[in-house]
Amino acid sequence: MLACTPLGGEKMTEYPVRRDPRTIIAVVSICVILVVAAYAAITWWRPRFVVYTYSSFLDWGDEGADVVLERAFAPFEEKYGIDVEIILLEVDANGIISKLVAEAANPVADVVIGIDNILILQEAAKSVLEPYTSPSLSLINETFVELLDQDHYLTPFDFGLVTLIYSMNTINTTTHPQLGNLTFADLAEAELASALVTENPHFSSPGLSFLLSQIAVYEKLLSQDWTNWWEDVKDDIDVQEGWSEAWSVWSSDPNKHLLVSYGTDPAYSANYLGTAPDTAVAPFYYNEQYWAWMQVEGVGLVKNGPNPELGRAFIDYCLNATVQTEIPLNQWMFPVRTDLTLPSAYQYAIHPDEVSVLNQLLSSTEISENLSDWLTLWDTTRTP
Amino acid sequence: MNTRELLRYAILALPFLLLAVFLLYPVFIVTLQGFFTGTPFQEVITTPTIQFTILFTFNQAVLSTFMAVFIGLPGAFLIARLRFRGKSLVKAMMIVPFVLPPIVVVVGFLQMFGPNGVIDSILMWIQGSSTSVFNLATGVPGIILAHTFYNVPLVLLMVSASLERLNPEIEESAEILGARPLQRLHRIALPHIMPSILASAVLTFMFCFMSFPIILAFGQGTYMTIEAQIWNAFRVFDYGQASSLTFIQIIITLSLAYVYIKLGRQETNAGPTASIKTTSFNRYGVIERILILGYLVLIVILVLGPIVTIARASVFDPIAQRYTLEGFVNLFSIGSQGGLRYFINSLFYAGLATIFAVILGIPLAIAMRSRSKTIPTLASAMILLPLGISSITVAYGLVLAVAVPTGLVTNPWPIIVVAQTIIGLPFSARAIEIAMSKIDPALMEQADSLGASRIQRLLFVELPLLAPGILVGGVFAFAMAIGEMSATLFIALPQNYTLAVAIYDYLAVRAFVEAGAAALILVVVCVVAFLVMERISEGSTGGAL
Repeated sequence: MLACTPLGGEKMTEYPVRRDPRTIIAVVSICVILVVAAYAAITWWRPRFVVYTYSSFLDWGDEGADVVLERAFAPFEEKYGIDVEIILLEVDANGIISKLVAEAANPVADVVIGIDNILILQEAAKSVLEPYTSPSLSLINETFVELLDQDHYLTPFDFGLVTLIYSMNTINTTTHPQLGNLTFADLAEAELASALVTENPHFSSPGLSFLLSQIAVYEKLLSQDWTNWWEDVKDDIDVQEGWSEAWSVWSSDPNKHLLVSYGTDPAYSANYLGTAPDTAVAPFYYNEQYWAWMQVEGVGLVKNGPNPELGRAFIDYCLNATVQTEIPLNQWMFPVRTDLTLPSAYQYAIHPDEVSVLNQLLSSTEISENLSDWLTLWDTTRTP
Repeated sequence: MNTRELLRYAILALPFLLLAVFLLYPVFIVTLQGFFTGTPFQEVITTPTIQFTILFTFNQAVLSTFMAVFIGLPGAFLIARLRFRGKSLVKAMMIVPFVLPPIVVVVGFLQMFGPNGVIDSILMWIQGSSTSVFNLATGVPGIILAHTFYNVPLVLLMVSASLERLNPEIEESAEILGARPLQRLHRIALPHIMPSILASAVLTFMFCFMSFPIILAFGQGTYMTIEAQIWNAFRVFDYGQASSLTFIQIIITLSLAYVYIKLGRQETNAGPTASIKTTSFNRYGVIERILILGYLVLIVILVLGPIVTIARASVFDPIAQRYTLEGFVNLFSIGSQGGLRYFINSLFYAGLATIFAVILGIPLAIAMRSRSKTIPTLASAMILLPLGISSITVAYGLVLAVAVPTGLVTNPWPIIVVAQTIIGLPFSARAIEIAMSKIDPALMEQADSLGASRIQRLLFVELPLLAPGILVGGVFAFAMAIGEMSATLFIALPQNYTLAVAIYDYLAVRAFVEAGAAALILVVVCVVAFLVMERISEGSTGGAL
């Protein structure tokens, strides 16, 4: 492109034009500077009030997250005259903590939504949060605070029951009666084990809830070594990285019938189909009771965040009916404000009073002391 | 020292300084921090899973290297010795897999060897089965095959180039003196090409050793390389583990890089020979012809197959078993979930990274050709570092040491550009250095004696002569940057996602057509870039490896 036109073949009487490369360099630089300036101007960061959460936050409704977030948080923006920037991180809750740890020296987020009752037991999670006891806690049942975090690093936001679900089009209690009173031993049978999809407990909160459910049942109810079950299912079970991955495998692979997911999925299915649901739950059955793991998700104040006062006000605001009423149909979790009326589809969900929660079998001290060892052991069972 | 010389040194020092700030310092900080605050090294390397990962990283790299050399060697002989039409085109095309992003290769592999892929569909049709019967695009076979795909062309190019430099007179003399073909192969050809086989094997081993996107896609979370485990360690904030693994990885890759450079030096001592003896296909015997054809079929399935079938992946939805254009609709849709943003991001980041890689590559290349003793070594080391250091560690270092203090974390695109520049720099610097070595020093002297100033000489003599080399380097850097996934995945917020990252995301939730369409676009971009490069360099692109 520069002045290097070959002489051969050309008329030899003409010399190649000696263009000054400086013009070309100058033109290229100007173009580049313009493009960069334009891109920078469009994406330029304006100081706002920043909330970190995971990507699917309030995104499972008919309207999509954009509309719902606007409706839920516009009154807060108006009251305090700020822009609330909800950054949806394309990661699970672990990833959010990891990001907050990386940014600890100079945090940009004020509030984080979506850390649950297991994740908060890890030191790293506590190290990036600032305890705050919200006056709005009076609006909710105290058991949620007890289940989530008694030190108030987190304020309860929503909760759900982690359990197994199956699609009734492929299997049901007639073809597989054991689904009606499921045990881990049933699941270890090759037929069901190879139909089961779960999530990696390192990266996914339902995956970790499932692992802890299994540990609770084996160690506390059956007094057996929990790793045996994982050895039994090692070659059959499908461990996906996160919930979205697991869901898409379960819903598209004809050989996968069972999924570790939430007890509200039948309600989601009923709402989606407009009829009775085609998804059912199969909670574990031991000692004549049904069991499930209760996941409580919280909202927390980021330590040394730029706007701590606003952050606290935001946490209070999250327990308002304006926000909480959006949860059932968009997040498909139960709002912690149990005084609010649930949508009719929720008649198909399994409710907390229908099961015993497995969390009661493992104390939070026990979990926080053993979690990393359990995960290492789990890794070992997964190593080929 | 006068100001002009000072300026010269300042320009030469610029890339070193920038690499020190954006590569050495961040990686150093992160590794050190993890060592002193996280899980101790002792504990990390005694964990059974980690030991398995380290062992697996080695084993798969050895196996992949063996496969690549084993399949690549016959091809190298064919390319060098067989006379056929369009040979230069075939040789040129060999570089294409190298510029294809790994995540795109994953898409191609799923389509060629995966469930409901091309081979599977044919087998299903033969057997009359309605369910998938064949799947090689998963687990260890998937990993090894994909690595083989990547590296067979590398072995082919490097070894055939070396064969072509073998003076035919030596072999002719041997023939006249009564040496049988096998003896000639054993005593003459093999010793001659050994350094190039070793060099390509070392390079292949290094690429496989650092493999990341292919491992994420096919490893099912159980088969991991050290690189993938570093990524996991960062995600679960086990910084001690990340540091220990980074340390182990750097030691190994830098040793390999050192060996590679040593081998490269040996190789350049052989003079170029253009008069290689070639034979046309018809002169071969029947068995030889069958072998050659069989080999070609294998190469077509393994190397060409995954590239061509990406086109099918972009329109065929394996879940619904139907053809659809939804992938392209998504790719060109605007909005927060639309693919157009990813496309623009990809072009923008890679474009900027290319410019920087070229600007920094020129002084680096000059430094590599410096007459001083230490500067060339230092420069070579500097351009090898990005190849040898885990890009995940680089990304985390950049976030921690640059993005957090400057507040760029909420809008981290400049950091992505920096990371992509670092990844493209070795390729641009190398290509420019090769172009420099081809400049006739007499031209410089003539310019000097005709009274050109240093700046005039640079602008009117050196740069125009270097222009093709610079463009080749730029195209290479561009291909590397636009296909970069690991560092970008680590740094980016969803609004900064590039096509490569988006493909990974689409694959994770089995949005296969969306992934396919995005992959096809990247293939087109890379192939166009490659064609441009071919035209400019007139077929000498392979040298940049």
